[in-house]
This record gives sequence, structure tokens and C-alpha cells, in this order.
Amino acid sequence: MIALLENIGALLQRMFLQAGLYPTLLLKILARMPRRPFFARQLMLQCEEVGVQSLPVVLLTAVFTGMVLALQSYIGFHRFGAESMTATVVSLSMLRELGPVLVGLMVAGRIGASFAAELGTMRVTEQIDALWTLSTDPVRYLVIPRFLAACLMMPLLVVLADGIGILGGYAISVHALDQNPTVYWNNTFLYLKEIDFYSGLFKAFVFGMIIGLIGCTEGFYCEGGAVGVGEATTRAVVLSAMSILVGDYVLTAVIFQ
Amino acid sequence: MSHEVKISTRGLRKCFNGRVVLEHVDLDIRAGESHVIVGLSGTGKSVLLKCILGLLSPDAGTVWINGEDWSKLDEDQKLARMRCIGVVFQGSALFDSLPVWENVAFVLLRHGMPQSEARTRAEEVLEWVGLPGIGDKMPAELSGGMKKRVGLARAICHRPDIILYDEPLTGLDPVMADAILRLMSRLHEELQVTSLTISHNMNLVRRFSDRVSMLYEGRIHQQLHRDEIDACTDPVFRQFVMGSASGPIQVQGMIPQRRERA
Repeated sequence: MIALLENIGALLQRMFLQAGLYPTLLLKILARMPRRPFFARQLMLQCEEVGVQSLPVVLLTAVFTGMVLALQSYIGFHRFGAESMTATVVSLSMLRELGPVLVGLMVAGRIGASFAAELGTMRVTEQIDALWTLSTDPVRYLVIPRFLAACLMMPLLVVLADGIGILGGYAISVHALDQNPTVYWNNTFLYLKEIDFYSGLFKAFVFGMIIGLIGCTEGFYCEGGAVGVGEATTRAVVLSAMSILVGDYVLTAVIFQ
Repeated sequence: MSHEVKISTRGLRKCFNGRVVLEHVDLDIRAGESHVIVGLSGTGKSVLLKCILGLLSPDAGTVWINGEDWSKLDEDQKLARMRCIGVVFQGSALFDSLPVWENVAFVLLRHGMPQSEARTRAEEVLEWVGLPGIGDKMPAELSGGMKKRVGLARAICHRPDIILYDEPLTGLDPVMADAILRLMSRLHEELQVTSLTISHNMNLVRRFSDRVSMLYEGRIHQQLHRDEIDACTDPVFRQFVMGSASGPIQVQGMIPQRRERA
């Protein structure tokens, strides 16, 4: 019984210690971000990694999501003769929910894992210690460029995903379901408000922060050799995905209520 | 060797999860000296090195480098002063994403030296360690011995006056170990640097050290001049030098040696 309690206590202690690492790193990032030196080259490299390299997976996800959404909505609306609402459902869903959430989940899988694995490997092979001994702050050199790249690139990816998703819905509706292209296009924008677009962008920015912070924290404080890197990578993806879904609900409730 | 103290620790203490790894470690390393710290695996040698470098914060005690108390410096001040120190890591710790020359010239590039000038300097240092013309290779293309030499080149490229080596001969074949040891000796003589080496290799101690300290059970157990090694009668130090499993140092999990029958 005592052994069981000890194990539970040790587990809780580990969880609290792990949870404390996120605000610790966030505070370090915020404190050092405005001060020199700035590593612009590192930031550009990370923007390419997060933004450009994620484009294929993000756009493919968005176009098929738009297409399947149009197909499902059409089938549903057809039952009570409201097929013309398909365009509105596709555009509203993409802008407010599906764009930011799906892009967030895709980027969490790709970039969150990459941040954690890369920084974790650097930690266990003493490359992060080496940076320090070469008079370079590892937080400024490694963490801030990754964190910023995730925050900056996520909204851009979401804008592209929104557009491609809406076009995917348009293609299916017009070419496969014989809807009128002009009516469809009009209905796409008819009921949209500015807040639908900006709320999606804001969500994307927050999700970028979540992915950057969790991926970097898991990698930066990784320990335990190859096994530790594997665990950190898994944790980064799972925690990012869960945080995005929980965060999405919270943001939706705050923005639209 | 001058009497100026380059690195000094006073009352250094470090614990991990309640286990004391370092306890009241006092150490003085004089300018131009080659000081080697030996000890069994897991006795806290690397922890001591990390405390000196500021990679770990000691629970108590102070570290002085070049006459400055490092516990009073903030992170940016420590980073600025790191330029006077070069570190050779046990596993080389080269940056996988950068070619060899950028690894070697990392500090120079970071401090604004033009790329062509930094590259020339990196090639010179690579030639000095016996690796000319490998600047464009990636670290993954190098053997363990080459990586170690590139690590050495990176540590000296910005001309530090203190060099710290963490297990520099670990994982190397005897020929490569000899080559690295020769480089270290040459570096020490030609550049007049202060060296602090962590090792459990007695060959390195005999050939490279001016003084040797033995870390045992978290404390400096013995401190000797190189010439005093063979005359030392301390049983713990003798057992370590002899490389024997029987003696006052208990090796966990070892079956006691059977006594031979008369």
C-alpha cells in the first residue's frame, strides 16, 4: 500500500515538474525575445521548415476536407431542398473551425514532432551544452526562431488552407453535384462576417504558440538518451493535438459568446 | 606555469534527487597548468565540469574563473566570458546541421567575422589538427577520431586561454588516442593554455598532466604532482592507478575474489 502511494506521489511529482517546464521556457522566450542578438538566418530557416515544407500536407488535407464537407452537406441539405446552403456551410466551417484546427493538427504532427526530436537529440548528444560553451544562448539560437516561426507561419498556412478548402468544395459542388457556379460563389461569401476570418487567424496564431512551445519544451528539457527522445517526441505530438482541441473550444467560447 | 589561479572552486556541492554527487570540492588550477581530474565512473567528474562551465548550478559553493565569481554573473555575462574558454566534449557534440568548417568557425561567425575570413581561419585550424580539406564535409561523414579532432579544432579556433576536455580519449582506438594526446600536448605547449581534463585514463595522466586530482565519493580525495603518482601510498589512489577491482574501492555487484588454496 505504501509502495503504491509512493508510486502515485512520484508520478504526480513528475507531472508537476514537467508541467512547470512550459511556463519556465515561455518566460525565458518572452524575456529574451526583445533583446539582442537576433538570429534572423535561423528564423528564416525555421519559417521555411514550418511554412513551405508543410504546404503539401496542409493543402492536401484542406482540399479533401472542403470536398468531403461539400459532399456531405449537399446530401444532408438535399433531404429538405436546401442544397444552396452547401456553399455557406463549407466557407463558414473552413474559416471558423476546420481550417485552423486541421492545419493545427497536421502541423502539430509534423513540426511538433520535428522540434522535439531535433532539440531532444541535440540535448542528449550535448550539442545544446556545446552551444553554451561557444558563447551562444541556446534559447535565443534554437528555441526562439522555432517558436516564432510556428506563430508566424500558422496563420499563413490557415489562410491558404481556407482558400483551398473552399475551392475544393466549389469543385465538387459545381462539377460533380451540378450546382450553379455563380449562385455557389455568391452563397460562399453571402453570410460571412469579418470575424469569421479573423477568429480563424487568431486561433491559428494561438495554435502556433501551442505547437512551438510544447515541441520546444519537450525537446529542450529532454533527458534519457534515445528512449527519452522518443518519449519526448510522442508527448509533443499528443499534448499539442489535445491542447489544440481543448484550446479550440475555449477560444470559440470566448470569441463567439 | 605562473601562480595566477585561472579556475577555482570553493565548497562546491551538488545533489541529484537527494544523492550527494559533489561535496565541498575545493580546486585551484593555475595559469598554464595542465590539471587532470580522475575518478571512477559516476563519481561526479562530468558534473564538476558542468558546474565550472555554468551548465549546472551548484547547490552551494562558488566557481571563480579568471578572478571573477561566476555565481554573481547573470547568463549574458557568463556567455560573454565563455569566449576565453574552449571545451572538447566526450562525444564531440558537433552540430549535425552545419558543415565541418562552420562547426569550427562557429564562434567567429557568431561574433561577426566575415565568412571568407572565418573559413580561412577554420581551414588553418583543421590543418593544424591534421584534417586539411574536410571543411565541406558534414559531421555524419566523419569517423569518431576525426570528429574528436574537429571538436578540438572548434574548441581552439577562437584562441581561448582555458581548455576543458571531457573524457577526450574515450571510445578511441590506441593509435587515435595517441594522436589526440599528442595534439593536446602540442596545443598545451604551443599556445600556453590552461587545461583541465576529466579522464580515467592513466596513460593520459602520466603524459599530459602537471597535477592530478582524484575525485572519490564526491570529494577531492587526493591531489598530486605528476612525479608523485608512483610514490603515492594512499590505498584508494593506488587501487585506481593499478586498475584493480580488489581493494578499498568497492565495485557494486562484483563477486568477491576466491582465495587461492595453499
